[in-house]
Amino acid sequence: MVEDTRGIDRTAFAILIIGVAFILAPIVIAFLTASLSYEEFVSAGGIGLNVGSSFLDNMRRIVTETQLPGQLWNSIVISLLVAGIKCAFAFTATFALVFYESRWNWIIFSLTIATVMLPLELLVITTYQIVANVAMPLNWLMQITGLAWLAEEVVGARHEFRLSLLDTYIGVALPIATSSTSVFIYRQFFLSLPKDLPRAAAMDGASPFRFMIDILLPLSWTPLVATFMFWFIGGWTQYLWPLVAAATPDAQPAVVGLAKLANTEPDRIPDVPLLMAGALFVSFIPVVLIGVMQRQIVRGLNLSEK
Amino acid sequence: MKHGRGGRTSSGSGTAGVKQGFYTGRWSYWTLVLPILALIAMFFYIPVALAFFWSLFLERPFGGGSEFVGFQNYDRVLSDPEFWNAMWRTLIFMAIAPTLAIGLSLILALAADRGIRISQAARNIIIWPKAVAGASIGVVFVFIFNPFLGIFAPLNEMYPGIWNPRIDGGDAFATLVVAQVWNGIPFNFIILLSGLQAIPDGLAKAAAMDGSGPWRRIVDLQLPLLTPQLFLTFVLEFVGTVVEAFGLIDTMTQGGPGGATNLLIYKIYVDGFKAYDLSGAATQTALLMMFVIAMVILQFRLERFVKYER
Repeated sequence: MVEDTRGIDRTAFAILIIGVAFILAPIVIAFLTASLSYEEFVSAGGIGLNVGSSFLDNMRRIVTETQLPGQLWNSIVISLLVAGIKCAFAFTATFALVFYESRWNWIIFSLTIATVMLPLELLVITTYQIVANVAMPLNWLMQITGLAWLAEEVVGARHEFRLSLLDTYIGVALPIATSSTSVFIYRQFFLSLPKDLPRAAAMDGASPFRFMIDILLPLSWTPLVATFMFWFIGGWTQYLWPLVAAATPDAQPAVVGLAKLANTEPDRIPDVPLLMAGALFVSFIPVVLIGVMQRQIVRGLNLSEK
Repeated sequence: MKHGRGGRTSSGSGTAGVKQGFYTGRWSYWTLVLPILALIAMFFYIPVALAFFWSLFLERPFGGGSEFVGFQNYDRVLSDPEFWNAMWRTLIFMAIAPTLAIGLSLILALAADRGIRISQAARNIIIWPKAVAGASIGVVFVFIFNPFLGIFAPLNEMYPGIWNPRIDGGDAFATLVVAQVWNGIPFNFIILLSGLQAIPDGLAKAAAMDGSGPWRRIVDLQLPLLTPQLFLTFVLEFVGTVVEAFGLIDTMTQGGPGGATNLLIYKIYVDGFKAYDLSGAATQTALLMMFVIAMVILQFRLERFVKYER
């Protein structure tokens, strides 16, 4: 386009510089502070631009003196579970919703999409009770149907089933995995595929499951990888739910561990360099992931059309 | 309701009329949908129902039994001034943080869409905070805004007491907003930038032919065509800020000083898990759910003013 755009381009340049500076400022400050030893930090009197040489030393202390390494592993397992469950469940369900003829399609679609409206954080009080005893609905069912009374007569004592998933990976991961945005994304993708695809597969003698595994799955690679990454990061950054569902440090994910580390500081000047090193330690995996996979994620979530 | 299907043009293609279904097997159908139905029934719909159920009962902690009390819990919560304060703070937070986050994202997206040299790098970096948990960045921001160690420490030396988020509620609230905006920019930025890039080049060229400059085109062309994305960001951001602030509050202010940053989501957590007031917490959860659902419905009522045609 032959047009004088220098003015607006200069403004755009300045805006982007300011924006990037705002985003990077806390990260740079965390890096700079994490490079100082505690003594250097105290004598500098707080935030400064000096670069110290204790970065590796602080990281070593994080690895050896805190519980963050084990909690980092917890984060990895929980995030993988969240992303895996979300993708697998949503994929099979959306396959059924799009490629099967059923009057339940619309109802099931609405039920899954409605979960997006109320985030897990809103529901922690009662979700906690359910995860503390996942057999609770079974007990209610037995009470309502009179089975509980029958069992009482036979066994002679009242029996309540108990099964707590608190402090387990699966117990932390399952409630996070309920938000079913993926159904919406996969549905949009499936609907964009040629409509005669299942017909062609059926002519070649492929069953529905065969079609799903051998044809649909390879075709859906882009949205699957993108949603998997996205939910992995989403699982990693959860805080309120893991905070209540995992009470023991051994079961807590890294973000919760970091917050505990920050809160248990004694009253003297806190060991800020160590905390900053910890913040970097618990954040680097998802940040590197989003930095490297950005294009795939944005494309696969169907956010960009170009 | 009647208007629903026609209005949701972006998603409605498969639901109204067009029959995509091909397979009919009943058993395989239910095998495929059962896992997700079981999951959301167990960990979404039962907790939702339980919150409403409990709001009508007086629950004693540690399984001490329960007693039906009708709407007494609602009476108690709604006559508690601290509930209304927390609600009011939530509303203020919802008005300020999303507006700032979306406004700044919009400006950044418009700039990045110019396709100048640093656009690519800026695009990649601005997305990073999406991968940082609120609680993690809260730990960093609480240090940055520390009155004696942080960036305003020199200012405090010159004018003692001018900045102290540990004592001044307004300061504490401001630090929360800054952290929330930092965390909220990336997702809005991606959505808005994608929307901008989806606008056909031909439109801009045609407008340029008609003598409209790049500044003019932002107002007359890009912003009107971006309304669907702006609408989406507002819906997501409003629901998000109600709950996302928790990680920041818990690591930065713990609701203080003097309750100035005690938003409803934090109050529910404290009432339920620290004070063991399960009925009160469940009642507030029910109220907050109703509020969020009302907000979403209201926003979708407003959707009819959004232009979808291109």
